[in-house]
Amino acid sequence: MSDARDLIDQILKRRPRGPRTITPGRNEGPTFEPKTFFGVLAALLVVWAAWTSVYTVQPEERAVIKRLGRVTGIADPGLHFKLPFGIDTAQFVATERVLKQEFGFRTASSETPRSQFAGGYPDESLMLTGDLNIIQVEWVVQYQISDAVQFLYGMREPTKTLRDLSESVMRRVVGNRIGSDVLTVGRIEIANTARDEIQEAMARYDNGIRVIAVQLQDVVPPPRVQPAFNEVNEARQELERMVNDATRQANEAIPRADGTAKRTISEAEGYATERVNRARGEAARFSAVLTEYRTVPEVTRARLYLEALTNVLPKIGSVVVVQDGQLSPLPLLNLRDAQRLPQKAPEKTPVKP
Amino acid sequence: MKNITYIVLGLVAVLLVTTRTAFVVDQAEQAIIVQLGEPVGDVITAPGLHWRLPFIQNVRRFDKRLLDWDGDVSQIPTLGREFIIVDTTARWRITDPLQFLRSVRDEAGARTRLDDVLDSAARDVVSGTELEEIVRSADWQVDVSRLSVEDAAALEEADLQRPKKGRGQLEKDILATAVQQMPNIGIEIVDVRIKRINYIESVRGQVESRMISERQSIAARFRSEGEGRSQEILGNMEKELRRISSEAERRAQEIIGAADAQATKIFGEAYGRDPAFYAFSKTLESYSTLGENTTLMIDAKSDFFKYLESTSGR
Repeated sequence: MSDARDLIDQILKRRPRGPRTITPGRNEGPTFEPKTFFGVLAALLVVWAAWTSVYTVQPEERAVIKRLGRVTGIADPGLHFKLPFGIDTAQFVATERVLKQEFGFRTASSETPRSQFAGGYPDESLMLTGDLNIIQVEWVVQYQISDAVQFLYGMREPTKTLRDLSESVMRRVVGNRIGSDVLTVGRIEIANTARDEIQEAMARYDNGIRVIAVQLQDVVPPPRVQPAFNEVNEARQELERMVNDATRQANEAIPRADGTAKRTISEAEGYATERVNRARGEAARFSAVLTEYRTVPEVTRARLYLEALTNVLPKIGSVVVVQDGQLSPLPLLNLRDAQRLPQKAPEKTPVKP
Repeated sequence: MKNITYIVLGLVAVLLVTTRTAFVVDQAEQAIIVQLGEPVGDVITAPGLHWRLPFIQNVRRFDKRLLDWDGDVSQIPTLGREFIIVDTTARWRITDPLQFLRSVRDEAGARTRLDDVLDSAARDVVSGTELEEIVRSADWQVDVSRLSVEDAAALEEADLQRPKKGRGQLEKDILATAVQQMPNIGIEIVDVRIKRINYIESVRGQVESRMISERQSIAARFRSEGEGRSQEILGNMEKELRRISSEAERRAQEIIGAADAQATKIFGEAYGRDPAFYAFSKTLESYSTLGENTTLMIDAKSDFFKYLESTSGR
């Protein structure tokens, strides 16, 4: 028995006791009282118990409570009690928050909302389309932990599985479409199909994750190829521009030509009217004169003749009168010539053989 | 005091004994009691407190949950000799811990086997398949009406056909091959998925160049179509302009011709009543064209001079 006590003494690092004497007071310096020691120990135990028997569940969480390793229930938000000393354990799971996983990019927490180009994580974002072209896709999967127990105890790594499946599904969906479809009109369908398939997988694995939404971010051709895609857009616009220019030119020229045509016709009509009217006028005048002529033909004839010559002869430059049998004609209007051309010789006469 | 000490010591002893005989199986675990190297009893799957003999019995724990396997990224040539990078993942579970313990002892050993089997299964299946079959799924369908004209033109006949198997079936094939080739180590491979497929680095450049030239030819086609259509519009415009102006000309000439004809008719009707008088009066009118530049030679016998020498007129 004393051996045991010595052993215990050694363990407890007490100085070995001599004969049992009651040593009240402090004559021998600091004494070790078992009562004090165990009292302190007990106090510590109580504190520890208190510490490990109370827990708080935040509003966005639930707590999975295990007793000696076995799940006994889920605790709602608030203050709760459990068995101390780790007999009961509480694991906190954020079931009320919408969580997200990003693919092909990462959101820097406070600065830029997200990367500008899908160049940050090419391993995640590069994939093949159905027509075997390369494309870069950035996307986000929004999910929630719908079953806290399954999330903790269905799979070892549910979040990693979510990521792996998301990549696999996205590549399957994109690989089942033509590249230009993915780049343009197929985005919504791709996002919906991906969400459905990822959710189906999560349900099959029963890992407590519920996929809420899949959102495509940037979907672009690889950087080296992008200028060529832009070139196509530019060329398409150039086509439109050329066609518009030509159409506009035609739309300006044709009405103008119509106008010119109408004017030509109007001018012709004007000429026609004028000609016919003038003809009518002349004809009428002739008819009138003719009627008068018919009454006194000889007189009219002589009158007309003389009137005409009276008007004409003064205007004529030179008149030469020819008489039968004469070799040279007589200039009738010699004087006039002399008047008109004072610088010339007065006796100048045009001689005609 | 002595009693308290002994009570405490007693508690400590009880505690020590308990830690050697009681053990907790977590919700996530299944356990086997091993005695001197050999398993005893059934697999313990129920979580909670369990008992064993101290010192001679130990507990081996195994994960009860669905586990992940992530393959190495490997370069595999397809049936069409295109080298691609394939990254597979799989889900598996320890279904028979006894067998598991006997054959591979722990997860590290299992993972080695999984690496071998799954990598080779993936390689077998991929190298026996064309790239289109791996990328596309069984419900591959090209809706040509949704594509732009130039993209539809870039498609080939083969692109419009359904793949024989498709991605989903291939993944099932890899799983089936792996399951067949996996020795019985007490696990179940639940599924295999292709996580990533890509061209290898050197091929990527070629494919990108192909994409670039494809786009460039589409752009060139747009431009030349623009040229063609604008030329067509301008040509039609020219044609229309010619038609308008020539028709106007024709119409004008018709009008003028009709007017001339009518004038002629009017003149004819009028002057035709007395052609001789017409000739007379018209000729007289035309004498007024004789002007300063004219030299007129006139016979002395003309009527104008009739009364010059006598009043009776010769």
